[in-house]
Amino acid sequence: MDTLNYLMQGFDVATRPVNLLVALFGAFVGTVVGLLPGLGPINGVALLLPLAFALGLPPETALILLAAVYLGCEYGGRISAILLNVPGDAAAVMTTLDGYPLARQGKAGIALSLSAVSSFVGSIIATCGVVLFAPILAKWAVAFGPAEYFVLMIFAIACLGGMVGDKPVKTLMAALIGLALATVGVDSTTGVYRFTFGSVSLSDGIQFVIVVIGFFSVSEVLLMLEKTHSGQKAVKASGRLLFNFKEFCETFWTMIRSSVAGFVIGTLPGAGATIASAMTYMTEKRMAGPKGKFGEGDLRGLAAPEAANNASACGSLIPMLTLGVPGSGTTAVMIGALTLYNITPGPLLFEQQPDVVWGLIASLFIGNVILLVMNIPLVGLFSRMLSVPNWVLVPAITVISMVGVYAVHSTTFDLVLMIVLGVFGYILRKLDFPLSAVILGFVLGELMEDNLRRALSISAGDLNILWSSPITLALWALVVLMLALPGIRWWRARNKAQMANA
Amino acid sequence: MYVRLFSAIWLLLCVWLAFVAWGFEAPFAYDPVGPRAYPLLLLALMGAGSLWLIFKPGLMEQQLHIPTVKRSVLCVVALLAYAVTFEPLGFILSTALAVLVLGLLFTGRLVPCIISAVLMGVLLFVLFDYLLDVPLPLGVLEAFVES
Repeated sequence: MDTLNYLMQGFDVATRPVNLLVALFGAFVGTVVGLLPGLGPINGVALLLPLAFALGLPPETALILLAAVYLGCEYGGRISAILLNVPGDAAAVMTTLDGYPLARQGKAGIALSLSAVSSFVGSIIATCGVVLFAPILAKWAVAFGPAEYFVLMIFAIACLGGMVGDKPVKTLMAALIGLALATVGVDSTTGVYRFTFGSVSLSDGIQFVIVVIGFFSVSEVLLMLEKTHSGQKAVKASGRLLFNFKEFCETFWTMIRSSVAGFVIGTLPGAGATIASAMTYMTEKRMAGPKGKFGEGDLRGLAAPEAANNASACGSLIPMLTLGVPGSGTTAVMIGALTLYNITPGPLLFEQQPDVVWGLIASLFIGNVILLVMNIPLVGLFSRMLSVPNWVLVPAITVISMVGVYAVHSTTFDLVLMIVLGVFGYILRKLDFPLSAVILGFVLGELMEDNLRRALSISAGDLNILWSSPITLALWALVVLMLALPGIRWWRARNKAQMANA
Repeated sequence: MYVRLFSAIWLLLCVWLAFVAWGFEAPFAYDPVGPRAYPLLLLALMGAGSLWLIFKPGLMEQQLHIPTVKRSVLCVVALLAYAVTFEPLGFILSTALAVLVLGLLFTGRLVPCIISAVLMGVLLFVLFDYLLDVPLPLGVLEAFVES
């Protein structure tokens, strides 16, 4: 009952005119950013974050804006995937497999509308999941002490390494680089300056906005420079614009299954939308058996990844809101946004800032309805944006990034630092280090050190506190499991290869 | 190959930073850990990771494409120039210049690029400075604006 009351309170917050306007704006911008190839949810959130801050929006409004952008990107990614065969963001890779063939068969309208509805179903199911489970987890997480938190964060990082799979060492290195970047600046407990090299501008650490924009916008600009392709022709959306009832029934259970799976994967710290969409696609393909036309334009192959990636986007808000540990790169950015407002996400957030939490959750429902309504009739407008040439798009991204960074401190030093970080991020990307792991590490860095040191202060320096409670022991076991996963996978693959040879 | 090179450089960097970090000492012991242990722990782990990648860089053969590298360097120089001129020249002029150069770099034609440069410089300034209340520098144009 409590939950319902809170939810009503949340709807009160979310339906304030300002917040509705912001959700509408965020949904629109998110869709546009999502459909532009190369720009994903992290870029969208990163570009709007400094703006939200500079505008002096209250925290709940800023968070609603960012969440709307996040959802909008997941909706937008599918448009370029279906019409261009170019995924608008990483999570939409799976959508291209069946979406583009459908468009080639003249069913672009059906594919677009059906995927919009799948996205909607996925988000709504996952948001209901957030409403049901987040308060329970928050209540449970209040029992977490600093030692538990420290181990939980190690688990989040280990999850990244275990889930990404093909390059665990690089992923863990990337997370460590992020953690190390977070140590720059004055040490909060003792006041000692660390790694500032006498620079005043570095004394309060590297600003979060600078890291995110440098890593994601500047390095993206450099990546786009390599791919100045002359523009593929988008398939015209022609024929029937809406799917019919039979097509909906065919894909209904696929949507439900994929939404639930996507939600569960999304709640795991570290595993995001990309993994969710890939896993559900594979599962559906296996379930359909040889009768399915997966890869040649099966509607189920379109519905599964779309439902899953939106569901996991909403699901990843659970660890962010209840534990303060991000479930994906984008939620890491949102945590950074909250800390800009001096709000520390975590279990107490539900008690201390119910307006922020429940306003955000209610706005997810509203944002999804806005997106669904916006996406079906406006698809023509959005698909026309795909033809914006790079020589307009890239300078515009650059200018907005510069303004965003300048808005924080108004110094040239920050601008230069952003570019240096951007070049560094570009090199990391070229060498196949996942940048979202760096961001995750950077966000967790300060929290992790604080919790470790607080835990050891409690025990007067005795390391045993880190594995003395049942919760920490269970978490350590999960950490070991996650770190062992890539090894197990490698071992099984080798065994299989040997069996095949014998 | 490049992964190895990067890891080696990173390893050296870690060693050097570890020397720097060794000097972090608090005048008073506020907590049992102190400011030194945690950075050193991270550096040690990163060093171990770098060593691993030096020996097992994984399958990644990439060839540097020289014209692309040239354009990337040009792009970085343009961005740096934009950053440095942002305050002295002011938002409108530096933005117009940067948009023009970047537009040309991204294979735009001259006249449309000039048009987009002027438009973006002026319109984005109006948008951010007046409508969205983000204070931006006027730079050399300050003299023409009565305050």
